[in-house]
Amino acid sequence: MFKKVLIANRGEIALRVIRACRDLGIPSVAVYSDADRDSLHVVLADEAYNIGPAPSKDSYLKAENILAAVKKSGADAVHPGYGFLSENADFGDALEKAGITFIGPTPANIRSMGDKISAIRLMRDAGVPTVPGSGGPVDTIEEAKKVVEKIGLPVMIKATAGGGGKGMRVVHKIEDLESSYRAARSEGLNYFKNDTVYIERFIQNPKHIEVQVFGDTHGNVVHLFERECSIQRRNQKIIEESPSPSVPPEVRKRLGDVSVKAAKAINYRGAGTFEFIFDNTTKEFFFMEMNTRLQVEHPITEMVTGIDLVQEQLFVAMGKPLSFKQEDVVQRGHAIEARICAEDPITYVPSPGLIRRCRHPQGPFIRVDSYAYPGYEVPIHYDPMVAKLIAWGPNRETAIRRLDRALTEFTLTGIKTNILLHKSILQAPKFLDGTYTTQFCDKDLEVKMPKLFKAVDDHVFLITAAIAAFNDKKSKSVSDYNVASRWKTVGRANSLRDQ
Amino acid sequence: MFFEADLAGDLMRDKWSEHYKIDINETRNAWNVSLQQEGGEWVRYEISKQDYKMVENLVNLIWEGGSYLIDVYGTGSGIDYTVYTRSSFRTVRIYNDEALLHESLKKGGQMGSSDNLSAGMPGKIVKTLVKVGDVLKPNQPVLIMEAMKMENEMRAAAEVRVKEILVKPGDSVESGQTLVTFEPVK
Repeated sequence: MFKKVLIANRGEIALRVIRACRDLGIPSVAVYSDADRDSLHVVLADEAYNIGPAPSKDSYLKAENILAAVKKSGADAVHPGYGFLSENADFGDALEKAGITFIGPTPANIRSMGDKISAIRLMRDAGVPTVPGSGGPVDTIEEAKKVVEKIGLPVMIKATAGGGGKGMRVVHKIEDLESSYRAARSEGLNYFKNDTVYIERFIQNPKHIEVQVFGDTHGNVVHLFERECSIQRRNQKIIEESPSPSVPPEVRKRLGDVSVKAAKAINYRGAGTFEFIFDNTTKEFFFMEMNTRLQVEHPITEMVTGIDLVQEQLFVAMGKPLSFKQEDVVQRGHAIEARICAEDPITYVPSPGLIRRCRHPQGPFIRVDSYAYPGYEVPIHYDPMVAKLIAWGPNRETAIRRLDRALTEFTLTGIKTNILLHKSILQAPKFLDGTYTTQFCDKDLEVKMPKLFKAVDDHVFLITAAIAAFNDKKSKSVSDYNVASRWKTVGRANSLRDQ
Repeated sequence: MFFEADLAGDLMRDKWSEHYKIDINETRNAWNVSLQQEGGEWVRYEISKQDYKMVENLVNLIWEGGSYLIDVYGTGSGIDYTVYTRSSFRTVRIYNDEALLHESLKKGGQMGSSDNLSAGMPGKIVKTLVKVGDVLKPNQPVLIMEAMKMENEMRAAAEVRVKEILVKPGDSVESGQTLVTFEPVK
């Protein structure tokens, strides 16, 4: 058992790790920047050390400051959470050199998956499906035809220098190939002064499917099934669910097998996630990247498998074998997570600031991982996510209804939050039938929004504001009136004296 | 008490789209609030103080059968109120007499319409600057009124002829009271 664990992170994930430590009776050490003195992880940990100024690069990303806190506290292990230094192999090296356990993958694991292009090559060699394509420039139309013959239609022709939809052509029919090929090349030349193009399979109805894996130091690797995280805004996930409503049982099995094989190929240690792009038309999946850390959305896997992933991370880091075998891992029911962020629900612009009132939802089958509290000021320096709301149900419909119920109960005022956005998503037909893709927030959501935002009668807002303004005005004039002259005060006091 | 209000209907995108007039008064047992959206009818609500209560600085409102727990607070220059309830929120900009005066001054004091000039707030007439029968150009000063301890020039909104002057210097006037009537110039 570790003597003491330092958590090199902040926010809800720091709380999550503190709780896992406390479950095992391990004292926990928080670190905090100048902006986080009032943050909840500082309050809940057993010890807390300042690690520098507010900007992440001067505190949470500054390895030497964290190492100094490790030394001062006498911690013998460090949990990096997610983000910050969690996928920094040099940090892992520095800790191990100092005789401190890094609760995460080996630095070699991190390095092998850190570079996206070499990671894809490594995975392809390990037999993991990757997006079929030309693998390099396609210089002639004859070559293009050969590539298409090999990978099949539809394909996407992309200018290597392209972006913003320019220099991109989707080809569904072979007779369109030649004209699209020329168009992509000439657009590349016109917009980016470069007519090099490559060809890739076009993923119709793309979904983000990922598989949780776990390895220990005894050669055991298991998977904990998939999560679907296709609901994204600004390319960041906001709703995740497990299991995915789109993955058929035989594909689910293949996803798990492939992921275990891939993790074994790199001797993976600890918790990790293989991310795939999933074609909902053909039900094929292709490797995108591996996250060599605990994920934000790990609770939905915990809810359906009943396995405490953070506790398991601690055990594996202590050198224990995994506490469960592959056959022990079963998906039971359905879990959904909504990330509650301090941001405008329509523009997604972050809205840090003072939380006036905060009341977390309660009730059956709801889990809240949150660091919000009334009077807390959400700092401008870090991620706007303040809470994760997770609901479990025996089936998807029940889980969605419970999440919706919990969102209704969630009161967070003073800052803007995306709670209403979540409620609109939970009413969208494409979400409900499970056919949503990664383009959902951009393409399918617009229509539903206004109705929900108008769910409360405007007159409620007007009446309340009017009464508040009335009271403000009245108290102001009363206090003006009451500013008594000092002569009068003295006179009154004198008149009240015993005569 | 009379207010005008802008409701940020499209959340907080600085799009002040809906304009209201609000008449509000308090009795021992109730709040009487009348609302009129620009171009619409007045709607009057009598809200019992049993239905509008404060609980730990929050408003606990029962209104038209609905139950609301509301957080309301003034922001910015003190004329914006942010109201949160049921995961929804709006900003309501409240113009009281003072704010209305500033608004009107910004607009060049054109508080009258083409057939009369009326007081936008309670005040005292300091001086009249026109005679019956005068033809006024738009924006021409009509009279000087003191309100909120400031002298304000009230100007004509359009080209008009002065029909009747209903006040004289020294008169106290109420909000909405007609001061001068006009007739069209033929």
